[in-house]
Amino acid sequence: MGVGDYILQGILAFFLGSELFSIFGIPVSINIAMVLAGFLLGIMVGATPGLAGPVAMAISLPLLLSSFGYHASALLPVLGFLIGIMKGATVGGAVPAILFNTPGTPDAYMTTLDGFPMAQKGQAKKALRIAHFSSASGDTFSDLVLFVCAPFLAIIIEAHLDLPEKTALLILSLSFIAAVIGGSPAKGLISTGLGLLAVFIGTGEDFYPRLSLGTDQLARGFPITTAVLGVLILGAVFEGIDNLLREKRETGSFSAVRESGDQGLHWRDIRRLMPYISRSALIGTAIGALPGIGSTLAATLGYTVGKSRHQKRKSPDDLDFGAGAPQGIAATEAANSSVSGANLIPVLSLGIPGNAAAVFLILAAESIGGFVPGPAVFKFTTDTVNPELVIAFGLFTAMAFANVLNWTIGGLFMRTMGIMIRIPKQMLLPSVLLLTLTAIYIQETRLEAIWFALGFGVLGYAMRKLEISPLPFVIAFILGDKLELSARRAFSASGNDPFFLFSTPIATILMLLAIGVLVYTARKRRLEASA
Amino acid sequence: MKHTFKMLVGAFALTMMTAEALAANWSPPGPIKMLIAFRAGGGADTQARLIAEALESKMGWKFIPEQVTGKGGVNMLNALSKQPNDGTAIGMAVTESLGYNLATSKSRLKASDFTGLSTTAGFQLGIIGRTKDGWKSMRDVIAAAKAGKQIRLGTMSPRLADLTYLLEKANGVKFNIVSYRGGIAVLNAINAGDVDVGYVAGPQAKGVKAGDLVELASALSKPLNATPSAPKLSDLGVNFNADGQFVFVGPGGMPAAAQAALGNAIAGVVNDPNQKVAKIIKRIFGGAITIKGKKLDAHLQQGYDDAGKLAKAVSQ
Repeated sequence: MGVGDYILQGILAFFLGSELFSIFGIPVSINIAMVLAGFLLGIMVGATPGLAGPVAMAISLPLLLSSFGYHASALLPVLGFLIGIMKGATVGGAVPAILFNTPGTPDAYMTTLDGFPMAQKGQAKKALRIAHFSSASGDTFSDLVLFVCAPFLAIIIEAHLDLPEKTALLILSLSFIAAVIGGSPAKGLISTGLGLLAVFIGTGEDFYPRLSLGTDQLARGFPITTAVLGVLILGAVFEGIDNLLREKRETGSFSAVRESGDQGLHWRDIRRLMPYISRSALIGTAIGALPGIGSTLAATLGYTVGKSRHQKRKSPDDLDFGAGAPQGIAATEAANSSVSGANLIPVLSLGIPGNAAAVFLILAAESIGGFVPGPAVFKFTTDTVNPELVIAFGLFTAMAFANVLNWTIGGLFMRTMGIMIRIPKQMLLPSVLLLTLTAIYIQETRLEAIWFALGFGVLGYAMRKLEISPLPFVIAFILGDKLELSARRAFSASGNDPFFLFSTPIATILMLLAIGVLVYTARKRRLEASA
Repeated sequence: MKHTFKMLVGAFALTMMTAEALAANWSPPGPIKMLIAFRAGGGADTQARLIAEALESKMGWKFIPEQVTGKGGVNMLNALSKQPNDGTAIGMAVTESLGYNLATSKSRLKASDFTGLSTTAGFQLGIIGRTKDGWKSMRDVIAAAKAGKQIRLGTMSPRLADLTYLLEKANGVKFNIVSYRGGIAVLNAINAGDVDVGYVAGPQAKGVKAGDLVELASALSKPLNATPSAPKLSDLGVNFNADGQFVFVGPGGMPAAAQAALGNAIAGVVNDPNQKVAKIIKRIFGGAITIKGKKLDAHLQQGYDDAGKLAKAVSQ
């Protein structure tokens, strides 16, 4: 079989899967229905404050497995559904960030910076349109790169990234985020340090718990949902309640947001946004192809690159990034959405997940059997049929189909969520609080989780009051465990060389960049302050 | 004397019979909490959930599966020890969790603080490498290390790191031992070229069959099914092995009837070839192994005691 035959077989496998029902005699495959169902569920889950794609994937995976069974025919419907959730949640994630300032995932945090101010000015629908357009563009671009490059790109990257380079890359990500996000590099480092301290409690390689003060509650560490949702959502809710109380005290009533101005997305808007979207899409795709880094760095980098371009080129009456600039939403959403496709490059060709969604795809494939993501998938055998390659092209078809859904009904569905902006804040904030606490309890069925989350909420509130960005904290919490593991591995793999981070040219360059970005930002700020 | 012996045998038989008879009538006083020491969705977790599903339909019991991961199963054992011992709480781990991991965890708990219910399956645990590196057996890897090549060896538990240390000592070589969490992580590291060889306990099957991976040594007391020619650790001068099974346990002091009923029920579904779980066990873990009741209690105690011997051998 040639390459073309494999692609055709894959497309047919998706569209001619077992028939669910037929329209005018044309059979509709179960795969199509599953992708659609997953996509709609994903948007709803993404749009609910406190929930995100991975939660929905975790809950639906066992249900899918028990209804479709463990045969190779279950692969496309189950993986299709999960891909649908992944895509839907990526788009839907912008909804709570823009409308309520409560990002469900760390990468949506950057969307709040401009999306929420726009919504507050009565431009919620326009902000949602921009988010959808940018997200769908980034996603589609990234998928195209995946389809074309998956067979060889990840293998090339892996060959050049050894353990010390992986550790240095993580350190660079943390230092970059600490330096460029939030008030100052010092505040960023404080936030990063606190995040690392929190994640190092109860974890580690030994069988006895670290920093747990001898208590059983801390021995298992802080669950990731409590830290992320606590700092990002509960912190924002507490701040919102605080602002609301002050407003009531000062004016005697609650203000409401009214729609104002043009809500449409026009060709001239698109033309203005396109440079930001295309840059971010490239950045997101490149970062997605690196195993194990994830989408938050992409969002941060996309936003920062967009910001510096905007500073140079904006006309005087354009809004700044952070004050409600449409370009800010476009830069962030295009970057974080373009990670998801490229992230599957290391997943499919090496079996190494880059984010939580990819983990569930691998778990599903492993549980069902018949498809083991790894180097064997992309073997174009000509004498015999490689069934895994057919499945891989079937998955690509499922992704392309999900993109079509995204462009057609995705935006419509997402904008109907815009109606939620009409909910008065005094009712919304307590509901978000309750919803978030419920979401945490569903994922971590122990009461300590609620106390932890409230504690992290207070921390998030305090950080906002002190103008310390909570994002470095969250990223440090997410990457801390990975950083420790990869540093331990690189150290032992190098034969216990204390200078392992400077043992190869690439690792040395990454480390120098990590230090350089902090020094450069600090100096630049001092110069700006004295000017 | 003969009389006393007969009496004893009779009494023993009677106790066994009553336990069995009581077991047949036993049913849990409420829904059973199933604590799973493995991350959600993996092979081990799927196995646990399918056992719960099979028992729900076969026995009519109700299960609430819950993940308690981390610290090589010790977190789960800690949580399980605080649950009631009336059969409404059980946990799934590996025998190593109750042996080496518990013994080295500085926990106040011991293997005897748990009630053994049943094991379900063993693993095909071996040292794996890539075919393209050209090594046919662990002896070739040792020869390469002796010739001065730096070899990175991935492990997935401190016990395996200890065994590797003994392997180094016995053969006068040094590996760079890199630790990972779980066999799949080691397999990924081998495929990505981060380590040269490493311990994997089952997920290698497909790669070995396809000819991409090669089983260099068996870490068990028996040869591996797919590569019987691979030397065992004992053939390479190590007097310990990494034998182990997936195991269900309850909190300590569980009534004999509950222990027997739960153990029989679990063993019953994993041994039933018509059950979905039995098929999965066959495919991933090479078939069911069911050690139950008092025999399992002794097996777990043995593993706990052996941990001390291994630690002693390593510190010498």
